[in-house]
Amino acid sequence: MLGNASASREAARANPDRANETKPMISLQQLTKRYGAQTAVDSLTFEIPAGQIVGFLGPNGAGKSTTLKMLTGMVTPSAGTATVCGFDLLQEPLEVKRHVGFVPDSGAVFESLTGLEYLEMVAALYAIPRDSALLRIRQFISFFDLSFETLTDKLLGAYSKGMRRKVVITAALLHNPPVVFFDEPLDGLDANAAVGFKALIQTLAREGKTIVYSSHILDVVERVCDRVIIIDKGRLLLDGRPDELVATHQSGTLEKLFTQLTGGAEMERRAEDFAKTFRP
Amino acid sequence: MNPAPDAKPPVLNPALSPEKTLRRLFLTLFLRGRSSRGLRKEGAPKSVGSKLALTLVIYAAFGLIALAFHGQPVFVLSVYLHSMTLVFLGMFVASSAGEVLFNKEEADILMHRPVSARALLWAKIGVLVQVSLWLAGAFNLAGLLVGTFSAEGGWLFPVAHALSTVLAALFCTGSVVLVYQLCLRWFGRERLDGLMTTMQVLVSVAVVIGGQVVPRLLFRPGGTPKFSSDSWWVGLLPPAWFAGFDDAIAGRRAGTSWLLAAAGLIATATVLWLAFGKLARDYETGLQALGETVSRRSPRGTRRRWLDVLVSVPPLSWWLRDSVSRGSFVLTTAYMLRDRDVKLRLYPGLAPMLVLPFVLLFQNHSQSAGAPAGAFGGFGLAFAGGYLGMIPLLALSIVKFSQQWQAADIFRIAPIAGPAALCHGARRAVLLFLAVPAWIIFGLVAWSMPGERSYLPLMLPGIIALPIYAMVPCLGGNAVPLSMPSEEAKSAGRGIAMIGVMLVSVVISGLATWAWSGGWFWWLVLAETILVAGLYVGMRASLTSARWDSVD
Repeated sequence: MLGNASASREAARANPDRANETKPMISLQQLTKRYGAQTAVDSLTFEIPAGQIVGFLGPNGAGKSTTLKMLTGMVTPSAGTATVCGFDLLQEPLEVKRHVGFVPDSGAVFESLTGLEYLEMVAALYAIPRDSALLRIRQFISFFDLSFETLTDKLLGAYSKGMRRKVVITAALLHNPPVVFFDEPLDGLDANAAVGFKALIQTLAREGKTIVYSSHILDVVERVCDRVIIIDKGRLLLDGRPDELVATHQSGTLEKLFTQLTGGAEMERRAEDFAKTFRP
Repeated sequence: MNPAPDAKPPVLNPALSPEKTLRRLFLTLFLRGRSSRGLRKEGAPKSVGSKLALTLVIYAAFGLIALAFHGQPVFVLSVYLHSMTLVFLGMFVASSAGEVLFNKEEADILMHRPVSARALLWAKIGVLVQVSLWLAGAFNLAGLLVGTFSAEGGWLFPVAHALSTVLAALFCTGSVVLVYQLCLRWFGRERLDGLMTTMQVLVSVAVVIGGQVVPRLLFRPGGTPKFSSDSWWVGLLPPAWFAGFDDAIAGRRAGTSWLLAAAGLIATATVLWLAFGKLARDYETGLQALGETVSRRSPRGTRRRWLDVLVSVPPLSWWLRDSVSRGSFVLTTAYMLRDRDVKLRLYPGLAPMLVLPFVLLFQNHSQSAGAPAGAFGGFGLAFAGGYLGMIPLLALSIVKFSQQWQAADIFRIAPIAGPAALCHGARRAVLLFLAVPAWIIFGLVAWSMPGERSYLPLMLPGIIALPIYAMVPCLGGNAVPLSMPSEEAKSAGRGIAMIGVMLVSVVISGLATWAWSGGWFWWLVLAETILVAGLYVGMRASLTSARWDSVD
């Protein structure tokens, strides 16, 4: 599967129509977020070119969600700069928002709207004409195996977690953004939907979209992503191709590398000790 | 899984207005409620129109009280109409604004879309004002007719009053939003969530109390006004400013009326400028604060320790021997102190309960001044004793609802045979932290009034009946704290139970007053104690035998 990711990147590069693929679609320079004395994100600097799927990893509280929220204009950075699609995050936040899609880990939706009402509302916020929006929505519900009746008749509050997640993913992609941020997108999706979703983002990357994929499911990240960025305590720990990183650190898998870097190995020992306390 | 879409991306068309979309969105969310998670029934959404129509009919029915002002001067009628409009709108805006302006989940849904914080703010304010005007219109309908057919009013009255009502609605909405913005600026975004809840509760309680007290300040019993537009002190009351507008255009047209109207215009313009112009930037900061997920030290830490200590030492440790009751007690207390949703329903709901006995006490006291001793027989005190018994009843029927109701499944998962112990814990929490303090404060105030002091024992029959009042909502295991969705909180059952308790209170206080004057009061107390003890034992046994019903 890693070969697939590399192939998608090579295919993307081979596409002559995308003149800007070598320019960074996302660029962070010393991006920092502080909350009082606490630093959530500490001077992050990296660039992501077009057509790349980047796994953005880190343990809980590492600063991943805060970084994604800064890059989507939801949270104002305390210091540093960033551009998305060439638009400055602080100077042109609305332009940044027009060019990104975001699937937040909360999967929040307005539960008292029907699925269709919600998606039409999102489409209107991006000024997508209603006919085009409906066409797009029909394509998505066909892809996700949702029924149009469900979308029109049931309130989102009555949807299963997986169905709601499909609506949130649809809402993120509805305006065809060149950059998409996914924060735990597979949460709640069944196995078939997850397989379909992974294929979708690989295809989207081949078509030139830049995808930032934050997840704790590391084997999926390893199979899908061209590159991984690992952060901890707000700081950049590692940045590179998954196969190269695994080979360099002789860890065997990305999961083992991640646990080595972020103290997970210690967690295994603690889990064993803790399990022993259940002995009668 | 079907193939991925391969259609061309849609052409962007700026003809569709995001602002209009946002206004429509917030109006729909407002009318349907933010969350349908708690509703068991699935299916098509309820009609927005029918829901709104019912609300407007209720407001219009309330507005019929204005018919009693037929024949009064325009200024008096308008003061009444604007007072009540501001009370209703104040309640509505204060209770809705926090949820509408600062919704936590909304940050994840809307903040990464290409809409500015200012556009969000305007759309929300637009909806608040729009719904406020509908409500005000419905409430003022009867008043408009009364004013039109009054001697002073005529056809100019509806025009003037419509304009002044729009001003009043803008003033009311702007004031509430301004309070939020100022709090945000003065106290910082770190404390936004807790602060918003406190402000909402305080504003709602103030409006409720104002609604009870102001009419008594303005009108004598029988509806005779104590004022005109020439009274200097009416200039201090916002309803008089807007009534001045009506009086200046369609009433006496006196100079003082024009002055009051000018005060209303200036006040409204100032509030709007401050709330939506000067401090709009703070709104964006506030919205961002809701999107931030960094962990902070809990400001409630000390309160939690205080609560833990309280339940672990006598006398509470004796009262809460059972660990399930103790857990339920702590849970209920924590939610009464911390949870925004519970606090917003609980304290504004209790405010009329708390203020009415005091109003009765002061009214009774002022009327009995100079009257022969025993002229009123302490009925007010006896009634207050019983009336305050509604506090645990109302509180228990409120704290059983929560936005986190699904978490209450833990009670069914745990090895607990039935809901009795949980109900006991919740019952004791509302008794200790709500009913007992209310009684002590009321008793102290009554004790400080020389004329009332001798009648204090008349509160005893009400106090003795308290365990029964608190047990009523628990029957059948129906008072398990936080176990039902907030959306189901609006039920007629609570109202019927409260009317029943109020009637019982009237009977008990009547009996107590009669027994007091007849010299057999203490025999009544003894008989009531025996009766209450018997009833309490029976109800408790019934509750103990209750078992969990099926969740479906």
